[in-house]
Amino acid sequence: MASLSTSLLTAVQALDAVTGALQITNNNIANASTPGYSRQMAVLQEAAPTNDGNISVGNGVVLEGYQSVRDELVQTQIQQETQAQSGANAQLSSLQQIQPTFTTSTQDIGTEMSAMFSSLSSLSTDPTNSADGAAVLTAGQNLATAFNTASNALTSQQTGLNTEVTQDVNQINQLTQQIAALNPKIAELNATGQNGGTLQDQQNQLVLSLSALTSVAVTQTANGVTLTTGNGTPLVVGSKNFTLQTTTGSNGMQQVLDHNGTNITASLTSGDLGGTIQMRDKTIPGLLGQLDTLANQFGTAINAAQETGFDQKGKTGQNFFTIPTTVAGSAATISMAITVPTQIASSSDGTAGSNGNLANLIAVQTTALPAGQTPGDAYANLVYQVGSLTSNATAESGATTASLLQLNDQLNSVSGVSIDEESTNLITFQTAYEAAARVVTTVQALFQITVSMGTAAAE
Amino acid sequence: MNAQRRAKMRVTNMVPDAEYAMQQSQQALSVAMQQVSTGLKINQPSDGPAAAANMVTSLAASANVDQYTSNVSSILSQMETADSAISAVVTSLNTAITLGTSGANGTVTTANKQAIAAQVQGVLTSVISLANTIYQGVYVFGGTESTTPPFVAASTTFTSKQGSAAAPLATATALTAGSVTTISDATTGDTFAFKATAGDTVATLATAVNNAVAAGTLSTGTSATINAAGQLAIGTNSSVAGIVVSSNDAVLGSMIAAPGTGVPNAYAYVGNSSVNSVQVGDSLDVAANLPGSQLFTSGPNLIGSLNGLITVLQTGTTLQIGAATTAVSTGLNYVAQQRIPLDNTISQLNDQESYLGQETVTLTTQQTSLVGANMAEAATNLSQAELTNSAVLASAAKVLPQTLLNYLPPA
Repeated sequence: MASLSTSLLTAVQALDAVTGALQITNNNIANASTPGYSRQMAVLQEAAPTNDGNISVGNGVVLEGYQSVRDELVQTQIQQETQAQSGANAQLSSLQQIQPTFTTSTQDIGTEMSAMFSSLSSLSTDPTNSADGAAVLTAGQNLATAFNTASNALTSQQTGLNTEVTQDVNQINQLTQQIAALNPKIAELNATGQNGGTLQDQQNQLVLSLSALTSVAVTQTANGVTLTTGNGTPLVVGSKNFTLQTTTGSNGMQQVLDHNGTNITASLTSGDLGGTIQMRDKTIPGLLGQLDTLANQFGTAINAAQETGFDQKGKTGQNFFTIPTTVAGSAATISMAITVPTQIASSSDGTAGSNGNLANLIAVQTTALPAGQTPGDAYANLVYQVGSLTSNATAESGATTASLLQLNDQLNSVSGVSIDEESTNLITFQTAYEAAARVVTTVQALFQITVSMGTAAAE
Repeated sequence: MNAQRRAKMRVTNMVPDAEYAMQQSQQALSVAMQQVSTGLKINQPSDGPAAAANMVTSLAASANVDQYTSNVSSILSQMETADSAISAVVTSLNTAITLGTSGANGTVTTANKQAIAAQVQGVLTSVISLANTIYQGVYVFGGTESTTPPFVAASTTFTSKQGSAAAPLATATALTAGSVTTISDATTGDTFAFKATAGDTVATLATAVNNAVAAGTLSTGTSATINAAGQLAIGTNSSVAGIVVSSNDAVLGSMIAAPGTGVPNAYAYVGNSSVNSVQVGDSLDVAANLPGSQLFTSGPNLIGSLNGLITVLQTGTTLQIGAATTAVSTGLNYVAQQRIPLDNTISQLNDQESYLGQETVTLTTQQTSLVGANMAEAATNLSQAELTNSAVLASAAKVLPQTLLNYLPPA
């Protein structure tokens, strides 16, 4: 049967529940800007009613706990998009550093190549002019330096990326260790019916950080989250994390090995590590290969033309450029072989005044190299490729950024804290608390009356 | 994100969207500002990969055109120098013909003929000086042997530096394979070059000289023998037929004119007949020089005919003077003919200079079209970007501080 004591108990229970709800609101407000935080909702439930005969009387409210509000699907999409964005950003960052080398300037390969042919053409008007001859040597040296600089820019970038591979792998191992450590704690809380929201938020944030580094597939199990790389190599299973290793490969580059020692480098395609490896092992070697081919074939063609003529002393022309016997490394090491203007094989008949062989040297400009293009076109093609790669990486980075913004908006629409909402909740719970407190004071007054009634009868 | 979808969504935090919008508008502003400040829409290859690649090719074409223009200027100056020299030669030859004609008059005394001969000698000296015209260190009529004077005084005999009574050269002395011994004949106006091959000896050279005499390349009597001093002596055995001999064979050493064997008024051409071609357009090469042999010796031997005129004025008959004057006249006509292609080339170079000027304009236009920004458009874009950026910043400033807390009374 309902009594004042029951009412008081119900009011106090309501005060407890509302206090708990206020604490949850407080926590939401406090974490409104915390990355990865999912808003929590108080789970208020009617207390079991008391049955008195045919009358069932409610017993107020109880705070069952709280629940984090999540959208696992959007969370997964964000992880995947983060992998794509980080991969694109890694490539973009690297390409933006490479691009200036291939931008038209006073010292790029194209300009220096033109300058060399101009100097040869100028020399053809007066093959014995030592100033014009010196200009040819300077132009040749400048072109060799331009090749060296471009090659160095690419290899320096490659070396930097190689260091980044090791750093990324170390970070991945740290993250997988932290994620694995959280798995049993979350599973334990879930098993005992407690809410593991805060730990889950932390783990989601760690998985997101991991996604920024490499491609990961996420599977939820009873033992917590299972993480594998894109090709199925396990990273986290239950409480165990599988560390990745790095070792120096035959090409001098750091290779990524899974816990079994299998080389998984080529399978890492997204995230910062994937983008870094893509640049280091494919994009840069591709560009460097073309640059080396151009330097080697150009140098060979000039040397061949030089050897068909005679220098100022009537001797058969010697090599103009020093180039290695192999194509690889040609751009890095191409240098001038001749050192004085009189060694330029201008003459076609052995006389100092002949310019007949300069035509052969100049003809290299308009003759297709063995690779199929003229030197100028081959360089223009390289410029196109660098521009195109950078442009594509810029577009992909922009697209993934926009996509991530949209996905985060979606996630925030579910999990994000709204200060306005929480302010409203604050008013709601404040009012509820005031009302419950009023019940307490009312019951107290009624108790006083009841007690006064007894006292009055005694008098 | 479309408005309809956003309307259904629970919006919790507008900061990321505001930040993204600000970033986007500031990027657009940065691009617009760069285009206006540089005047270029392509500042790096990624701004337009195809345009950047085409620009590389176009700039190379521009560099070539600039160089062709410079080449035209250099060649034109050299050719104009040559043309002036030829013009002066023509004037000199006319003087010589006038003198010769007056000398052929039967009434002219021997003393007067000697005086006329002296005047023609002056003409010859002048012509030789013109034939050895130098432009910026280059002998313009030397062919590709342009670093030394092409016309040099001839002698009857040249002896080798190597060889002595103690260590004489012999007909069996082997020559250095690849070495070249050259004999330029002032009388025939021709040059004989002997390039030694393995196994060749002085005797081989002597035989080759005899053969050249038989062929008419060298004057009759020219021979190569070992003299009493043990040296190789190459000579004409005639006091009036001069030659100039040179050799780069170390076995022989340099060939030196024997003292006292100089032939008055005889000059041999020691240049060559090679012509340098210079590129002044993508598919236009022009001959940059006119070899002196072509102009003065290989046709009618003009130098030789002047020498001949002097000789007959000094010692010959009226008839001989008349014939010699006719020979000089023939030479004059020949020189005048040879001048025509030179003048044509000068005219062609002037035309090419105009064409290259036009080509520069065309390429510059092409480059502007490839990478240049349309300034009106760029300025409009900048204004638009400024407006957008201002709007984004204003809306962010207005919207972001708005919360319910602003409207609640203080607790």
